[in-house]
Amino acid sequence: MTASRRLSLLLVPAALFLLAIYVWPSLGLFRNAFNEVGPTGAMIPAWSLQTWRATLHDSFTIELTLNSLWLSTVATLIALCLAYPVSLFLFRTESRFRGLLAVVAILPMLVSGVVRVFGWLAILGDRGLVNTTLQALGLISAPLKLVFNWTGVTIGLAESIMPYMILALLAGFGRLDRTLEEAARSLGASPFRTFWRVTLPLSLPAIALAAGLGFVLSMSAYITPKLLGGGRVFVLATEIFEQATTNTNWPVASVLAIYTLLLLLVLLAASNLVARRLQR
Amino acid sequence: MLTRRLVIQSGLATIAAPAVLRAQTLSGTVTLMTYTGIFQDNYTKAVVEPFQQAHPGVKVNFVSAGTSAQMVGAVRAQKADPQTDVVIMDVTTSSIGNAEGLFEKLTPAEFPVLGELLPEARAAGGEFGPAVTFDHLVIVQDAALKPQLAKLADLWRPDLKGHIALSAPPNIQGLALTAMTEKMEGGDYRKSIDAAIKKLKELAPGVTTFEPNPDGYSLILNGVAKVATGWNARAQLYSDQTGGKINALLPPEGSVFQVNTINLTAGSKNRAAAAAFIAHALSQGAQKAFTERMFYAPTNGKAEIDPKALARTAASPDNRARMIGVDWTEILKLRDQWNNRWRREVIAAAR
Repeated sequence: MTASRRLSLLLVPAALFLLAIYVWPSLGLFRNAFNEVGPTGAMIPAWSLQTWRATLHDSFTIELTLNSLWLSTVATLIALCLAYPVSLFLFRTESRFRGLLAVVAILPMLVSGVVRVFGWLAILGDRGLVNTTLQALGLISAPLKLVFNWTGVTIGLAESIMPYMILALLAGFGRLDRTLEEAARSLGASPFRTFWRVTLPLSLPAIALAAGLGFVLSMSAYITPKLLGGGRVFVLATEIFEQATTNTNWPVASVLAIYTLLLLLVLLAASNLVARRLQR
Repeated sequence: MLTRRLVIQSGLATIAAPAVLRAQTLSGTVTLMTYTGIFQDNYTKAVVEPFQQAHPGVKVNFVSAGTSAQMVGAVRAQKADPQTDVVIMDVTTSSIGNAEGLFEKLTPAEFPVLGELLPEARAAGGEFGPAVTFDHLVIVQDAALKPQLAKLADLWRPDLKGHIALSAPPNIQGLALTAMTEKMEGGDYRKSIDAAIKKLKELAPGVTTFEPNPDGYSLILNGVAKVATGWNARAQLYSDQTGGKINALLPPEGSVFQVNTINLTAGSKNRAAAAAFIAHALSQGAQKAFTERMFYAPTNGKAEIDPKALARTAASPDNRARMIGVDWTEILKLRDQWNNRWRREVIAAAR
């Protein structure tokens, strides 16, 4: 057995694990997608394309897709704008607390998503920190509607994906060579011009990586749109859950889950393509 | 010497022997899947513990999968190897389980207690598990709200704008509210819900959330909302537990029954004990105890409920007269259509 073959054996446990917990249930999902549903909700075993046709021709599926894409794009952009400076600082700082600061930046990952969302409800609610402060300062007379709508979901989602994006940016900053920036500065470039012409282009692969990760996480996010959306925010993930657990309509839930999976695969492939081109 | 007392004692012992023997021979675990939280707490005290005392060899274990729809999903997923014996869930989902063969039919020969049930309780499950509790939709309101809501139409009061928490369809509270609003507007949900949708669209901009989490009662108690849709039994209990901080209104325009059925899982691993538990849960004693504890209306017509408790349930004559006759099987067929209209018309008006 060659060394490379022996090395590939290391993948076997993980592959078997994935097979058991991901591939096998996915096959069940695939099978359910072809079942039919009776008028009162009972699932009828069948090999039918009826659910596929009905779901994919439903204009609400298009609306869900556009909502998911829009929400993911906005949340990713907001999170990127916030995560980029933090990551750059963490990458550059020579402070002896660098490790500690990095842990602080990704600390939200250690808190349950549900707890974080309820935290946002307390902060953004009518009697939350933001509204009471603004009212106390006399800046607003009535509370701003910051939760149970798109605003709340976007804020919550951006916050939830930010730690992952910080990690992705830190991992992708490998090509960020400080000597190139110093060369630009020594040739008379202003700090802003140095950032715009040197730092930012060199960090584009990291940005693409982080944006891809943030986007995929946003597309599949369920807790934040569900709890902060107040029943007004419809995206693919919430609809899959709703169909599976409230309507008991597993075939529609399965079709939507496969549809979302394929959509994510296409988006991931596109993101990888962009990242590779930027790395050249 | 054969005294009269000894003869009577021997006779009674002979009559009771099969039941005593059966009680002694039942053993093992009965896995009961139903709602958690206050339902589980009160059901344990009122129904489960007396059953376990009568059957010392049997232990009842609670499991939860969440909502009724999630429960039927769990039973469906375990069809090949059932992990539950008895399931108490909403009739809209148990009917799905019945159609899919997840639950057994119950016969009067095996369950004589079925003969004591109200006709509507038997009708709810057909040949399958009957209704074990009745409840109805109420408008839950902050007791500090002035003036208190006196009718469903008061939900449209301008001062409540931004303080309303509604559960939209496919949640059955939303379906029930649609039927109630249609009736309030003089229509009949069986023919059309156009009037209800038009009226609910007017209400939508004032709704804080169409998906109260964890529920409407908590949102009122936390000050997030002042009015919410809810179920009577829970609202009554929360009212008692919080010293009257919330009130439940049964709208004079009418309300809708919510029915929980008790179901025997097909392929139950401890069928005998599970059947005994179902018979106990439907019995007069258990029905009386649970109604007086949690204000679900009884389904056993022979249960003698304390009038004070009965007045707070859907079973009191006054309340019963206000109920809108709703066939949940028919509503299930319309659910997707109603759901779409809520999303595209009502909730869209609130964005």
